[in-house]
Amino acid sequence: MRQVVLGIGDLGASNTPGEVVKTYALGSCVAVMMLYPKTRAVGMVHVALPESSINPAKGQSCPGYFADLGVPLLLREMVRLGCPGNGRGIIVKLAGGASVMGHNDTFNIGKRNILAVKRSLWSLGMGAIAEDVGANYSRTVTMSVDSGLITISCPGRGQWEI
Amino acid sequence: MTPKVDSQAVRQAIEVLPLLSPSVTQLLQTLARDGYEIDDVVQIIKYDAALTARVLRTVNSPVFGLLNPVTSLERAISYLGERVIISIVLADQCGDMFTRPLPGYDAQQSALWRHDLFCAFASREMAGHARLACEPGLAFTAGLLHDIGKFVFSPFWAAASGEALERIEQGQVTDYLQAEQLLAGLDHAEVGFAMARHWQFPEALQAAIRYHHAPGLAPEQFRMLSYAVHLGDMLAMMAGADTGSDGMQYQLDGDYAQYFDVSSQDLAVIMLDAEEHFKKAEASLAVE
Repeated sequence: MRQVVLGIGDLGASNTPGEVVKTYALGSCVAVMMLYPKTRAVGMVHVALPESSINPAKGQSCPGYFADLGVPLLLREMVRLGCPGNGRGIIVKLAGGASVMGHNDTFNIGKRNILAVKRSLWSLGMGAIAEDVGANYSRTVTMSVDSGLITISCPGRGQWEI
Repeated sequence: MTPKVDSQAVRQAIEVLPLLSPSVTQLLQTLARDGYEIDDVVQIIKYDAALTARVLRTVNSPVFGLLNPVTSLERAISYLGERVIISIVLADQCGDMFTRPLPGYDAQQSALWRHDLFCAFASREMAGHARLACEPGLAFTAGLLHDIGKFVFSPFWAAASGEALERIEQGQVTDYLQAEQLLAGLDHAEVGFAMARHWQFPEALQAAIRYHHAPGLAPEQFRMLSYAVHLGDMLAMMAGADTGSDGMQYQLDGDYAQYFDVSSQDLAVIMLDAEEHFKKAEASLAVE
């Protein structure tokens, strides 16, 4: 089983049988995942921050880092693998966006990331059908090309599927 | 309740820790001093052949992309800067402490090093937003060392850690530090503080290690530094550079706003800058 491992801001898509796309320890980052059951194409982007306007140069070099650039880019990557450009039939799921304990708005980057990702999906006419977001634990996420299953795990909490 | 960890055994483990090499001790003392010169650092490193070789290897690594190789130690130290030098020295002399897996925290090999390195850069960035003077270089070093307690505490904590998350979720304790105190009778910050005293770290570093989860309790002269590390620690966990099962399980001290002027926009920039520096340092300082 070949793993495509994504770091912060990375984006990856695959329709190669046997492959999995994985990202570790999301923290306040959000993994946006797209699946197209017709062709078994899967894709993921590891979004770290909401808006690229804070650093346009970084947006150029690593668009997946930001929700406003990473989400449309992921759709383009899925289209490259044969998915429809209007996103119809693509299943979207989200994971991550955790917060630190202590209810502090400034530090709630996780919540801002989730909102920005949803806004970006909305502008593409898409929306998530499942999500495991928020709370205060970091998630590791795996997507399988063969089964389309999304597995989430966290040290001390085991693993589960969405 | 009776603690599930023998705190006496933990203390004994600290007492028998080997002393750090003179290069580490001298460097920490020097960097914590106001107004030290680059030459003071050169004088410490030049007598250690292995360390000198490591510094030169790092500066000439592809990560820094220098056109001409650097062969002078002084030039290398001057180019790499304080934060890379202290990272090289700690990685070289105490690598095992940072890279060994932490069974008590369900953390893989090098998780502590990655966490500490990210925290160091984030603490340094945070120091730039302090309302009063907070030395960025010292914040970096304190960030790098803040969780050393986990190295000693982890094997003992493994006997009790399975219950920690449950206790937090049941509301019996407010965070992971309290869970450690409840179940073990002591916590990793306290253990780190005892190690820092054993190794005679400068007082500022001792305080930052001890109070990184309770910066408001730090003595006034070390409070800014303790807050910088507290916030750097939070950012490291938010960026996914955590140490396993305790990731994001600590309370943020909201009183930081009295000491730091940070908007949500600033925080995003800090996160981005810290992550860029972290990635570069991680690539150039591969720790075995």
